[in-house]
Amino acid sequence: MKRLPLAAAAVLAAFTLAAPLFLERGTLNDVWSLAFAVILASAWNILGGFAGQVSLGYSAFLGIGAYTTVLLSLAGVNPFWTLAPGAVVAALFSVLIGLPAFRLRGPYFTIATIGVGEAVRVVASSVSFTGGSSGLRMPAGSFDFTLNYEAMAALAVATVAISAAVTRSAFGHALAAIKQDIDAAEALGVGSTRFKLGAHALSAALVALAGSLYAINFQYIAPSSVFDFRLSLAIVLAPIVGGVGTVAGPVLGAVVFSTLQIKLLSVPALRDSYLFIYGGLLILVMLYEPKGLVGLARRLLARVRRPPVLPPEAARAA
Amino acid sequence: MQDIAGVLVNTVISAALYATMAYGLAVIYGVMRIINLAHAGLMMLGAYATFALFTRFALDPFLSLLVVGPLFYLFGVVLYRLVVRRLPRSGATPSMESLLLLFGVWLVLQNFAYAVWGGDTQSILTAYTMKSVAVFGVRVGVPSLFVFLGSIVSLVFLNVVLKATFLGRAIRAVTQNRDAALLAGVDADRISATAFGLGTAFAGVAGGMLSSLYAFTPDFGRSFLLKAFCIIVLGGMESVTGVAAGAFVLAFLENALGAWTTLPTSLEDAASFTLLFVALVVFPQGLPGLAARLRTALR
Repeated sequence: MKRLPLAAAAVLAAFTLAAPLFLERGTLNDVWSLAFAVILASAWNILGGFAGQVSLGYSAFLGIGAYTTVLLSLAGVNPFWTLAPGAVVAALFSVLIGLPAFRLRGPYFTIATIGVGEAVRVVASSVSFTGGSSGLRMPAGSFDFTLNYEAMAALAVATVAISAAVTRSAFGHALAAIKQDIDAAEALGVGSTRFKLGAHALSAALVALAGSLYAINFQYIAPSSVFDFRLSLAIVLAPIVGGVGTVAGPVLGAVVFSTLQIKLLSVPALRDSYLFIYGGLLILVMLYEPKGLVGLARRLLARVRRPPVLPPEAARAA
Repeated sequence: MQDIAGVLVNTVISAALYATMAYGLAVIYGVMRIINLAHAGLMMLGAYATFALFTRFALDPFLSLLVVGPLFYLFGVVLYRLVVRRLPRSGATPSMESLLLLFGVWLVLQNFAYAVWGGDTQSILTAYTMKSVAVFGVRVGVPSLFVFLGSIVSLVFLNVVLKATFLGRAIRAVTQNRDAALLAGVDADRISATAFGLGTAFAGVAGGMLSSLYAFTPDFGRSFLLKAFCIIVLGGMESVTGVAAGAFVLAFLENALGAWTTLPTSLEDAASFTLLFVALVVFPQGLPGLAARLRTALR
């Protein structure tokens, strides 16, 4: 029984990586977007889901990755070698932000992260080396979409694998303890700040990598594209709709989210109502199933497997 | 270079507006321990409501506040009854669910504005929009002056409600200690609805006043939301005088930066976000907490 999800995941991963062999360019583009969404959602979930620290400022890391890649490429570095520096800068920035911000708890942390995200956006659109609000273009050169696709797909598979590995590790257990009761965790000797910083840095680096690939794919970045409200929404909404704190939830949420995005963009009547749909989804999830689609599925499964009502004696015995 | 009088006059004017903006958040936070992310959307909607009354009925944007206020009060009560009440009650600290739920409400409001008014930038132009008068030798735009007066009226109104009516006493009682208020026979659910209505009304009025000073789109309000957060964090989250002090500090910082530094205006907003961050981290109890700490340190 335990092996089944693992096998399914492996088949899915192999399928995604081999997709360029049998999918046409248009469909491949959609899968690219899906992989991108999976990375953002699963990476965000490491801090937001496993450790319960909901951040609304992740577009900052995406932006750092994208801008590092373009700026270094403009300085003559091969785009491939700009990925790691972007991830490192984002991780360092996440620690810099996290050191003060993790002194805050729950919603106060969330508010602080809105401030950080906004500040980064404002700075990127007003200082000169980022090209201001008109943005930056990648240097002209050969660009291979299939290569970019493979990198994005591999990163998506790796991100999901990393988050699965986290749940099984001591690191993941520490994050879970922090989420459940930070004071109790501290009392048991879990250095909560250290673990939160670690989770923040790990997820920031993954998001920055996705941001770098995003910049290479579109060849052009601007504050209005990398700090787009829709993108920062996607980062948070997909894992919440799918189910925070699980490995499958963010992936499921990303699938729902990208499918919705593609469908919405292709139907003109719906294009103008995406905020309504996302907002409505968020409201519904918060009111009726805060554990998201995964929680819903578990509830339904439990109802199917278990008899609905136990006789009183059996209930007492159990 | 601008003289001190100029900075001070402008500070007082923006501080009054900021306080109006922040009280809406503070009332809701105080009674329900909910951080109302939809505040930004409500301010945006207030701006559009004022705009609609102005274009449709040629109603002066400041007179229309008398319509917008009660209308938004009702809207707030309905929003509370339909959505917010269904949430599990927040404990001592606000729940993540309430924050995200109201984030969803904000998105829906934004979409509503896009659907009704489209995404174009709108602004309200009246006969006095471009006029200015001298206050203590400082040129001040007439709309800013009206905004100042509107804010003072709203703040006095709120103060009278909170201090002199049974309802206000009940609101303050629930803010101070919900359980004790319940024991004393206060209907906390009704008070919550009223507080949510009041907070919504203040957001609408603040938005209506902002529409006379700034151009707006359905995405309007995010930076003002952060400013309002900054103020209630500085003000210690639930103290009335604290909010006023917080509004003053933020307004002074912005005006001083604008007058005495060469910081580009686009970066001035970043100042309030930075202040928010610093305030949250360095003195989470706000200015009153800081003052108390200083007193104990000096003793």
